[in-house]
Amino acid sequence: MNLLYICMYVFVALSIFSIQPSESNAGQEKYTVSTSGEEDVLYLFNWNNYIAPETVRHFELSCNCKLSQDYYSDNEEMLAKLAAGATGYDLIVPTGNAMDSLIRQGVLRPLNKSFLSNLKNINSVYLNTVFDPQNKYSVPYAFTLTLLGFNRKKIQDLDLPTNTWAIIFEPRYLEKIKGRVTVLDSQRELMAAALKYLGYSVNDTDEEHWNQAKEMIIRAKPYWAAFSNTSYIRELAVGNLWVAHGYSNDMFQAALDAKRTGRKFTIDYSVPKEGGVLALDSMVLHQSGMRPDLAHQFINFILDGSNSAELTNLIGSGNPNIDAIKSIRPDISRNKAIFPDKKILDRLEMLQDLNRNQRRLLSRLWTEIKLR
Amino acid sequence: MKRVLILMAKAEIKGGNITKWLVSGPPLLFLIIFFVVPSLIMIVTSFRYPGEFGGLAPLIAPTGEVGGEYGMTLETYQFFLSDTLYIEIFLKSFGVAAATTLICLIMAYPISLLISRSEKRYRNLMLLLVILPFASNFLIRIYAWMIILGPESILNQSINTILNMIGIAPITLLFSPFAVLVGMVYVHLPFMVLPLYTNLEKHDSSLLDAAQDLGASRWQRFWRITWPLSLPGVFAGSALVFIPVLGMFAVPELLGGTSDILIGNLIKDQFLGTRDWPFGSALSIMLTLAVLFFAGLASWFARQSGAMKHAN
Repeated sequence: MNLLYICMYVFVALSIFSIQPSESNAGQEKYTVSTSGEEDVLYLFNWNNYIAPETVRHFELSCNCKLSQDYYSDNEEMLAKLAAGATGYDLIVPTGNAMDSLIRQGVLRPLNKSFLSNLKNINSVYLNTVFDPQNKYSVPYAFTLTLLGFNRKKIQDLDLPTNTWAIIFEPRYLEKIKGRVTVLDSQRELMAAALKYLGYSVNDTDEEHWNQAKEMIIRAKPYWAAFSNTSYIRELAVGNLWVAHGYSNDMFQAALDAKRTGRKFTIDYSVPKEGGVLALDSMVLHQSGMRPDLAHQFINFILDGSNSAELTNLIGSGNPNIDAIKSIRPDISRNKAIFPDKKILDRLEMLQDLNRNQRRLLSRLWTEIKLR
Repeated sequence: MKRVLILMAKAEIKGGNITKWLVSGPPLLFLIIFFVVPSLIMIVTSFRYPGEFGGLAPLIAPTGEVGGEYGMTLETYQFFLSDTLYIEIFLKSFGVAAATTLICLIMAYPISLLISRSEKRYRNLMLLLVILPFASNFLIRIYAWMIILGPESILNQSINTILNMIGIAPITLLFSPFAVLVGMVYVHLPFMVLPLYTNLEKHDSSLLDAAQDLGASRWQRFWRITWPLSLPGVFAGSALVFIPVLGMFAVPELLGGTSDILIGNLIKDQFLGTRDWPFGSALSIMLTLAVLFFAGLASWFARQSGAMKHAN
């Protein structure tokens, strides 16, 4: 009997706590710490390695405050953490579809554009996206493309095409590079590549089209070495991999590593002719943030071309800031796989969020892909 | 008089109860908080609808909204059973766990025997060596295996040179079921060695001497004495290896190829990738039930072998 009472007591106590998740999480605690201290702190929830160290230093000097960062490596991870009750972040840098989900949840704070005098620097191509038509909540930060990276020498020796997704989906090409190919370990990205190759939109949710893509992926899978989200950077640069499906900034890193270590080959990357995914990351203000003033200051600081260029020079990310181009190294700014021209841009699409039933269905297809 | 005695006896039982509760209370409370309560939460979660943005859909429809998916449902379990897919992943995970356990047992038994039969002053050093890998992070050790097994590694290159000489096509070690098994065995081997050692160390060596005097061969002495006596250790070690392997997701993710998905990866995906908490919870409950079943089985076997020992 005693045991039962204890059980019930604990269960009730825990359920009371779990109703108010914001009371007991890390972000909130950090805020209370900051109010008791003397320093002003801006809390940024950002991708790993997505701001240049000198940018942080310059901003801290200019605002006389401290920039505190938490990191995520995946939009879903960020959404999952927020859904689990993480709060206290002033700024988040989500990709379009994740931002869409945050906007519809109503957890973002509208921007006050009178504080953003540098907003004029942003290329209008990257404004007014489907996710935030009037940029009420978001300011573009940087972007990456999902594309193919390859070992130029090997691919030329084998006489393979580099401008099409066929190289990772068609057995007749894959035969020559068996075990030397990786694709992204991401349901949405791999499906997007497959759907694009089949001539559909990356946001196609027709079950029939999804099944076609699944069949094609299962047919190609025996030739792939692995699903990889990060290790392909190193493996490409070392020469273990010859073709990889991945992000433009990672390919930039791989190319740089191969060059620095004096390899006898070069790593190149390009957007397949069928098109690909454009991931535009934007700065948004989370409602739980306590310092919207500092957040606006930060956004306006980043909107300054020379500050924004620092990230591009560091990691090879695309930059929506026109004013930044003059401060970006020419080998980067002329690279069409980082700064797509109009022709390439027209073939790129941004991923949109799926609803819960579509997510469950896609997850099942994905499990099937992984198991077969 | 009789009544007084009964009362006293009752009081004594009660007093015993209090001590019992005081001793077993804290660990019991710990289990309730960190096992029973989360399990209950998961059970409830598995009967709810996933939220549009992750999390859970509200139990009661917001005012003004008609229809939609609110409240409790059996849908998640129907989804689980609608395809053999998920059952297959469970079976596969059990297969990997069983293989890992068996390999660990085969590898750990001689080691444990060696340690328990060696001189006392070396024993602690040898045990320390078994535990030493825990000093570095497990992910780093797995990354080390990625380098050891990689296609440009000395190991893989030399294997392929030999294969080439006898005219067999080269093989890749990394990103394969083999690599997953290597990683699993490597990580879990100490969990098998330690309980086996604890058991083997306690064996009375005079039993073996007696057997030898009665003319038993080396092999007979092992099979008729050491092995039956070590069974409780074997079951304890097996449970300690089998159960964590079932939930492991990092090893297949890092070392596995394109088909090496296990139940742990699937559960992780539901929470971090698909934002489908009810399905993730349902899968976790299935896994917990399976684990409880195997833990029960292991302890039943251990008790059986214990009973057998007494009977003998």
